[in-house]
Amino acid sequence: MKFRLEWLGQYLPGELPDLATLRRRLTDVGFIVEGTEGEGRDAVLDVELTANRPDGMNHRGLAREAACALGREFRDVPAPAPAEGPLEASSLATVTIEEPALCSRYSARIVEGVQVREASPAVQETAPAPSGMNPISSPVDATNHVLWDLGQPLHAFDLDTLAKGADGRPAIVVRRARAGETLVTLDGVERTLSPEHLVIADAEKPVALAGVMGGLHTAITPSTTRVLLESAHFSATAVRKTARLLGMHTDASHRFERGTDPATTVEGLNRVTALLVADCGGTVARGVIDVLAREIPSRVVKLRHARLVSFLGMDVPLGRCVQILSALAFGVTETAPGVLAVTVPTWRVDVEQECDLIEEVIRVVGYGALPEVLPPPFNPTWAEPILAREDRARDVLAAAGFVEACSYSFVSAEENAPFESAVSGSAPVIANALGEPFTTMRATPVIGLLRAARHNIRRGLSDLSLFEVGRSYALVEGHPVESRRAAVLLHGRRGTHWAAEALPADFYDGSGAVAALFAGFGAAAPGFRPVSVPFLASGRSAEIVAGGVVVGWVGVLAGPLAAAWDLDEAVVADVDLAAIPVPPPPSSVAMPSRFPGSDVDLTVTHPLSVGWETLDEAVRKGAPAELLRVDAKYLWRGAGVPEGFVKTTLRVAFGSPERSLGRDEINRWRDEAARRLLLVPGTAVDGIA
Amino acid sequence: MSTVPVSVEEARGLFAAELSESEAAASPRGGFLPADVAALKVRWLGKKQGVVTALLARLKEVPKEEKAAFGAGVNALKQEVEARLDALEAEAAARAASLAEAAKAVDVTLPPRVPPVGRLHPLTVVRRRIEASFRGLGYEVADGPEIETDWYNFESLNFPPDHPARDAVDTFFVEGRRDGARRASPPDAHVAGPDADDGEPQAPIRVLCPGRVYRKDDIDPRHSPVFHQMEGLVVDEGITFAHLRGTLAAFAKSFFGGRAEVRLAPTFFPFVEPGVDCAVSCTFCEKGCRICSFSGWIEIMGAGMVHPNVLANAGIDPERYTGFAFGMGIDRIAMLLHGIPDLRLLFENDVRFLDRTWS
Repeated sequence: MKFRLEWLGQYLPGELPDLATLRRRLTDVGFIVEGTEGEGRDAVLDVELTANRPDGMNHRGLAREAACALGREFRDVPAPAPAEGPLEASSLATVTIEEPALCSRYSARIVEGVQVREASPAVQETAPAPSGMNPISSPVDATNHVLWDLGQPLHAFDLDTLAKGADGRPAIVVRRARAGETLVTLDGVERTLSPEHLVIADAEKPVALAGVMGGLHTAITPSTTRVLLESAHFSATAVRKTARLLGMHTDASHRFERGTDPATTVEGLNRVTALLVADCGGTVARGVIDVLAREIPSRVVKLRHARLVSFLGMDVPLGRCVQILSALAFGVTETAPGVLAVTVPTWRVDVEQECDLIEEVIRVVGYGALPEVLPPPFNPTWAEPILAREDRARDVLAAAGFVEACSYSFVSAEENAPFESAVSGSAPVIANALGEPFTTMRATPVIGLLRAARHNIRRGLSDLSLFEVGRSYALVEGHPVESRRAAVLLHGRRGTHWAAEALPADFYDGSGAVAALFAGFGAAAPGFRPVSVPFLASGRSAEIVAGGVVVGWVGVLAGPLAAAWDLDEAVVADVDLAAIPVPPPPSSVAMPSRFPGSDVDLTVTHPLSVGWETLDEAVRKGAPAELLRVDAKYLWRGAGVPEGFVKTTLRVAFGSPERSLGRDEINRWRDEAARRLLLVPGTAVDGIA
Repeated sequence: MSTVPVSVEEARGLFAAELSESEAAASPRGGFLPADVAALKVRWLGKKQGVVTALLARLKEVPKEEKAAFGAGVNALKQEVEARLDALEAEAAARAASLAEAAKAVDVTLPPRVPPVGRLHPLTVVRRRIEASFRGLGYEVADGPEIETDWYNFESLNFPPDHPARDAVDTFFVEGRRDGARRASPPDAHVAGPDADDGEPQAPIRVLCPGRVYRKDDIDPRHSPVFHQMEGLVVDEGITFAHLRGTLAAFAKSFFGGRAEVRLAPTFFPFVEPGVDCAVSCTFCEKGCRICSFSGWIEIMGAGMVHPNVLANAGIDPERYTGFAFGMGIDRIAMLLHGIPDLRLLFENDVRFLDRTWS
């Protein structure tokens, strides 16, 4: 909000404060001056006001803070009652508050015989509006002036447009709207109302949204002659609810929502009436129609000086505390040695507890005066295990040559849809999203990697190895479930170098990344089981199995999906980090064998339908303890191998920690393994009949 | 050359002549190779037809009184020839080895075959650095959900329902639930809340909560609906405002360097009282730079003393316990530290941006 230095100066007797000093001190006490414009009397301060200090959103309030911060006198400017005519205001209109909880006070004055002017010379002369505020009409300018001066929102009705009650007087009723009632507000929009909206009504219908905006049909016009001026105290909650439900935000609602001073209604009313009459003439009816539906008692908060000292960790002498609080208009009485009973000014809606008073003291003393002290030593530290696991996964995948990505948790509904079957439950949808592609919480971080891949490919970078450690989201029976995932994406060629032609990344790069992740955790190698899911290419997709449980998936992205993302073949994987069976670190280690082992090869021709798992199992089943490893050495399809068959060379390693193995026994074990392979239907083993 | 010299002197001369003849023949190849020396050895030292052997066979033809001198002469010659040829043999072997090496030479200036070098995201690196600073001060690192209940997101943190303070932290809501996506501070409330096991509040607390948070902001160079926060919370008997200042100062020195100072200014957050804006003196410049916007100070976090209502909501007696909390944007600090010009770079995952070391 903008403040004029000269206007502030009306409340600070003596010379105008130095702009730079004022700027620094206001910022020190919590009113951040973001900038200043101009110099001298015309200087304007742009102040950032926190939501808890509505009392600082006007010149009088900020001047009070400035006086305290600068150690100067604050002097209020009285607003005497205007000269009144003989007619009683209460004979011209009635005011009724039906909702005392939502409106504690409603004060009104009536002025007859006014002539509305385009702009208010009285306002322009006494204190022009802060820059950016143009004069509108004299009643509006006058109400704005009082708003900026005292913080009291006001409204002016054309009295002759208000429907009369049974007693023949125009009626003002503060009540909840009735379901289906409508009101055209000053901005020309017709609003349909419900009992959640607090309104000002006349005898028949709503004429204003209480504390938010007036109605168009009861507003002041150039032909208005009789004006009813409203100055009320509405509950912050009521105004906020009304404004939010209707999607409205006005200068008035901004202040009411934060809390206005219940004691300023008549003062504001007198000030605006005087301004209006000075500009537009007319006769002020006698008296204020002042309905006090509910007394809001002043708060008295206890401040223990010893508590202040122990809370701050520094001493501020009691006398200094009293001086600061008094300068801010708190009433201070010492009820016992070192105990103050502090009466909170009516405008300080933010001060409720002792800690609020401690803040008042220390913000004026200055946070810079606090000593720098560390708390006493504490316990040894540890990290939440799942966070440590996430960080370990990052290190493992980075060490395996993947680049870490970081993507939004939000994706579009369309991007998420193909992957929804990857999680159980439904996708969390954002009710108040920014729009696509931010409506849906992702089923897998792979979607973010696909977006990253597209971004890079469009810039000519198509050889990609990316990973992200992040969460996937689902609603299961209405409850959010967040799963910790490690996702990888490979696209383009692997390991390009001039010495050899680079191979495109394929399924085994994906399953290899998963295996590397498991190895990095010291976990047993995972299994890969063929699976059919809509988002992966059929025949080149697997679920990842560890400890008999499915812990993720890996595969070549389904062709249509890759095309939709503008990708060539992409290999993707997604692993549930929490499900990786991580063993404890080794507690004892065996000496490696001193005896070199021996490798033997077995070449098997088998139907394509016989997978590696079957061959591996056949070799291992019944093998001696000396069998160490079974690897695939070479695969051949084509010349010499029948259609539908593949020739696989297995490399089988034997070894013993105790002795050198003899050629005879190794050959015997090899032949036994070969015979077990022959038991697999459709297989033939080279060199074995 | 099949002639056998008749005297030692003649043989010595012959050896010198043959050697220089062979050397001349070998010179286009750079000198003797092992085969050249082997041939010379056979010719001169061969057991059957070697020249020296043949010369020695003439001993019987030599007069008796000359035999001793002749024998000694032949032996001396033999040793000379052996020594010379052994030396040449070693030379030739070295030459052969170096030729073999030369055959394997490559152009070492060609681009190398680099194993894939993975990278950590700058947000990971900066988060770990912040964690390390606070781990040194005795903080645990805790975890929390991202989709959060209204209680933990707002009410427990002293945001009353329908309070304008909620405007400043515009929240996303998940359809069908009152929950919002997490904003800053809820993990603190979880940590401070009653323990699920025994229902006892968990003070004393000294905890750090890194995490992903959400705010209803459109994407631009300085804003993002998804960003990353580091929250801290300390609750114990006798925790003071001065402890908060001391802690922020210690962090500033640990993270930004020993000459960093902190400056605290009043502000408002519903969950703390008093609230603090914390700035660190710019350690990147002497007289003002782009990073500190030429002010000498960098705003790095909000902080404050935990509001007694927040402690009470967590079942902690605010008369007995006090505490402080702080929160900083990891993204913002990463941008400051590394001069990252646009927040979107942190989420676009352009590998030209990511492919570098951040620590």
